[in-house]
Amino acid sequence: MGGNAQTRWWTDAGVGYVVLDNPPMNVLSDENRRGIRDALEEFRRDDVGAVVLTGAGDRAFCAGADLGEEKHLTDDTVGAFLARGEQTFRIIRDYERPVIGAINGWAMGGGLVLALWCDVRVGSTRAKLGAVGVKVGLMASNVQLSRLFPEGRARDMLLTGRTVEAEEAYRLGLLSDGGALRQGRAAGIDVHGVHRPPILGEPGNAVGGIEAAGEGERDDWPVRLHNA
Amino acid sequence: MREIASAGVVIAVIDGPCAGAELERALHADIRVAADSATFSADGANDVAACAGRLAQLLGEARAKEIVLGMRTFDAANALRLGLVTRVVPAAALADTARALADTLAALPPLALPAIRESVRAARQLTPDAALALEHRHFCRLLTTRDHKAAVAAFFERRPAVFTGE
Repeated sequence: MGGNAQTRWWTDAGVGYVVLDNPPMNVLSDENRRGIRDALEEFRRDDVGAVVLTGAGDRAFCAGADLGEEKHLTDDTVGAFLARGEQTFRIIRDYERPVIGAINGWAMGGGLVLALWCDVRVGSTRAKLGAVGVKVGLMASNVQLSRLFPEGRARDMLLTGRTVEAEEAYRLGLLSDGGALRQGRAAGIDVHGVHRPPILGEPGNAVGGIEAAGEGERDDWPVRLHNA
Repeated sequence: MREIASAGVVIAVIDGPCAGAELERALHADIRVAADSATFSADGANDVAACAGRLAQLLGEARAKEIVLGMRTFDAANALRLGLVTRVVPAAALADTARALADTLAALPPLALPAIRESVRAARQLTPDAALALEHRHFCRLLTTRDHKAAVAAFFERRPAVFTGE
């Protein structure tokens, strides 16, 4: 268990949880980058079976880079800034156990990159994903989306920066386990045959079941997650 | 089928039967939109092997073989499901949909678009690490462009940005 100003993490029943908590939109801060790194190091020492990465609240998983932070970069600092971002993605990509992205709201720009480096993505009805970089003259997640999708779909998302909402995301395969979502049953992600992350395994949970995620449940689940 | 280009991005607008050479052309567009009345078939392609190869790139090998070897004609709903097209609308709305898409592309800061296209190509032509490295180089370059800085400034000032392609 640990945390910093904008990240919290803990272990429960053999599963590590990391929550990005940088309200209102959980833009990816240096605290978050450090938090992800420290949390995964701790989980590795504790030999957890799987990791769940999510965002605090019900608005955003991670809204990407902090444009405010980026605005202050100079020629001297931009290189280190980029390296820190890359390192965070690499830590998730190279982690030895499955990392599950629980997409509880907006995942855009760098937040989508983060989500795509997770092994499995499940989402709530509020999940909204977009490769929005193109709208501000940037681009990211081109290679990830091209390898995940039929290429035409990747181009459509990447070149227009359009938003894909939860239901379409399940249909396209951007989020997993549409069957569970349609039926509102447990997501059934059985990690290593032993550990079933509680927030994924309980019927009627917003992360596990899109239809079960009614208004009440939706408000409830991040709170439960924080208190777990 | 007709093609429209906007900001260097090619959109195939498919409003009826799209077979053979027309399908081959459509497969090389960046984005394919179709009327719900459109149909698709590889039958009559000039270069069947190349057409099959391109379909395999776009949809995966199993689906490409089903389309080419199975001589299948399929409708717009199936094309959407397979990922051959990304948007299907009623025939009467197709022109407006294509126009709106072209306008969206034309309003974006233009420098990222060729970088995206190159990165998508790299994703299938290079190793994953090499493709990611290429993408990262583009990202670093774009971060320093005037258009990106203008977009960030406009974001904070809550006003539309003006892009110059620099």
